[in-house]
Amino acid sequence: MTVKVLFFGATAEVAGTRLLEIQTPDITAQGLTTKIVNEHPELARHKLLFSVNEEYVPGDTQLRDGDQLGIFTAVSGG
Amino acid sequence: MDFAEITATPIDVTSVCRRVVPPECGATVTLDGYARRFTRDKTSGDVRETKYLVYEAYEPMAIKEMEKLIAAAKEQFAISHVGIVHRTGKLEIGETSVVISVAAPHRRPAFEACEWLIKELKRTVPIWKKEVYADGEEWVETDAAA
Repeated sequence: MTVKVLFFGATAEVAGTRLLEIQTPDITAQGLTTKIVNEHPELARHKLLFSVNEEYVPGDTQLRDGDQLGIFTAVSGG
Repeated sequence: MDFAEITATPIDVTSVCRRVVPPECGATVTLDGYARRFTRDKTSGDVRETKYLVYEAYEPMAIKEMEKLIAAAKEQFAISHVGIVHRTGKLEIGETSVVISVAAPHRRPAFEACEWLIKELKRTVPIWKKEVYADGEEWVETDAAA
């Protein structure tokens, strides 16, 4: 299946992109986030949050084909 | 008639807070958050000068999260209407980054709801601020987890 991974702010700078399309076997949101952190170890210095399809979800949420996984640092709007 | 918006152009505060003036209301409390030039470090006491700010949003999710906050505020407080507008892109010092307007029949719940809304917005809405200093820059990461 294919999952779109979206990066913002600090995570976009570390990943060097705002959008990745990843082919993956069945995996959870936390599982795919961990894989991506392993590819970009600098991300491990940040406390990361993630979303699936524009909602905060628990880490054990199973990803499905076409899902959008957002990976970002603690928010700082206002 | 509530609204939650993200805009890349300057925000006119008055047009936000007067956009909806419900007939059953007697007060609108408006927060005008803007870009601060001098920030004192809470631990070292050193003052750092910001040149400008850059805000970035995960727009569709940010709007959904703001709409959730508006719905939750209307459950908790005796208020009639909420409008939130957040700016993105480059902001010069003094430019408005966020406006939260809360209209209510009486002022006290409007003050309380406005304070609650900005506190929650800073904690949960996926928007990020980059501080650009004379000698460097950093994406701000708040401590509170969503």
